[in-house]
Amino acid sequence: MHKLYVIKPGAAMPEIPSRFAIEAGESLDMTIVVMPGVSCELPLAVELLGEGAQANLYGVYVCGTEEKVNISVNLSHKVGHCNSNQIFKGIAGGKSHVSFDGRIVVAPDAQKTEAYQSNHNILLSDDARVDTRPQLEIYADDVKCSHGATVGRLNEDEQFYMRSRGITLKEARTLQMISFVHPALQGIEDEDLRESLASEIEDAIRSIL
Amino acid sequence: MNDILLEIRNLHARVEEKEILKGVDLTIRKGEIHAVMGPNGAGKSTLSAVLAGKPQFVVTEGSITFMGQDLLAMTPEQRAWAGIFLSFQYPVEIPGVSITNFMKTAVNCRREAQGLEPMKAGDFLKLMKEKMAFVQMKSEFSKREVNVGFSGGEKKRNEIFQMAMLDPTLSILDETDSGLDVDALRIVASGVNSLHTPEKAAIVITHYQRLLDYIVPDVVHVLKDGRIVKTAGKELVDQIEERGYDSITE
Repeated sequence: MHKLYVIKPGAAMPEIPSRFAIEAGESLDMTIVVMPGVSCELPLAVELLGEGAQANLYGVYVCGTEEKVNISVNLSHKVGHCNSNQIFKGIAGGKSHVSFDGRIVVAPDAQKTEAYQSNHNILLSDDARVDTRPQLEIYADDVKCSHGATVGRLNEDEQFYMRSRGITLKEARTLQMISFVHPALQGIEDEDLRESLASEIEDAIRSIL
Repeated sequence: MNDILLEIRNLHARVEEKEILKGVDLTIRKGEIHAVMGPNGAGKSTLSAVLAGKPQFVVTEGSITFMGQDLLAMTPEQRAWAGIFLSFQYPVEIPGVSITNFMKTAVNCRREAQGLEPMKAGDFLKLMKEKMAFVQMKSEFSKREVNVGFSGGEKKRNEIFQMAMLDPTLSILDETDSGLDVDALRIVASGVNSLHTPEKAAIVITHYQRLLDYIVPDVVHVLKDGRIVKTAGKELVDQIEERGYDSITE
């Protein structure tokens, strides 16, 4: 079953387990959303212990002031024939500081592993900072693994194109950011829930512009 | 004088320290279609970018007045609200943003600037459907991400679709014929022609005469090295076609 955790100011911090042991045939499906105005530590250790185990981890963070968000994922493929997929996308504005440590370890006997990880970030200000450290440690030889990490800024050609159609700069930036984080909501299968969360994130993005 | 839409006076503009426009004068009246022709590097695309307000282009001298307003004091979005539309030579891809969402935002930003309520969803969808049919776009087009994976012809039809949706007073078509096959060229040209009224005007920027066989200009200008060196009727197009830009002198 998919689990959704939304961390936001004015609400109790949800209790997110930091260790997960996934047995044969089981699946961990989780989305974490960090709204503006909260600092948090999110250490996640996932072990895939039996063949056919799966982990799908998604994360979105939106920071606009002085938040400190530290995410570290330690994903361990202990046996073969397991899949893991991670998509973390975030926006850092103001003087916020985000760090993402993503470690994937594939054990020597964990053949036929598929492990993917991406962490993409948008910086909105010169004072915001993002440190992203993806690490792959692969000790098996018959695996499919990839990781990608970027820190960038909003594309100005897109903004000019939108503005030339009468879209204000603020709306253009909002559209860009919503479309940027949206892929990280794909783990939420319930369409109504996904769209209501997307609109909550849109409000959060507007609040930091 | 009331029928003047656009007046460009002694326009100088630069991009990255390089002066591209070196004193352009141009007056456009209601109902007119102007062609701006010229060799590569003459400054044609710079002129269109300056009119639309692209931030990287810096005007160093001169003025542009659009319907009595100082165009250079306006942001790109304010220019769009005032009725200027630029059809891009290279339309920009916007991953993750659907055509519907893009157009809805554009239409409603303008309505908000005009003090109007957002358009009703039903009215908006009806308008989309009508304008999509106008450029012969299938219904799934509205769900596609803006220009992502579009062919050259689809991108240009998308530009004309947006032009039809926004109903501008002055349309600037920057090399709209580049990359188009004959069928797409016909669709685009007939779109432009049927949107034209005695109250509106268009600037057709092109290197070749091909598009001007379909969109017939009232006035033809030749831009060379940042200045308009010749202005005449549409017979100038034939002279360029026969004898090239080198034959055009002040």
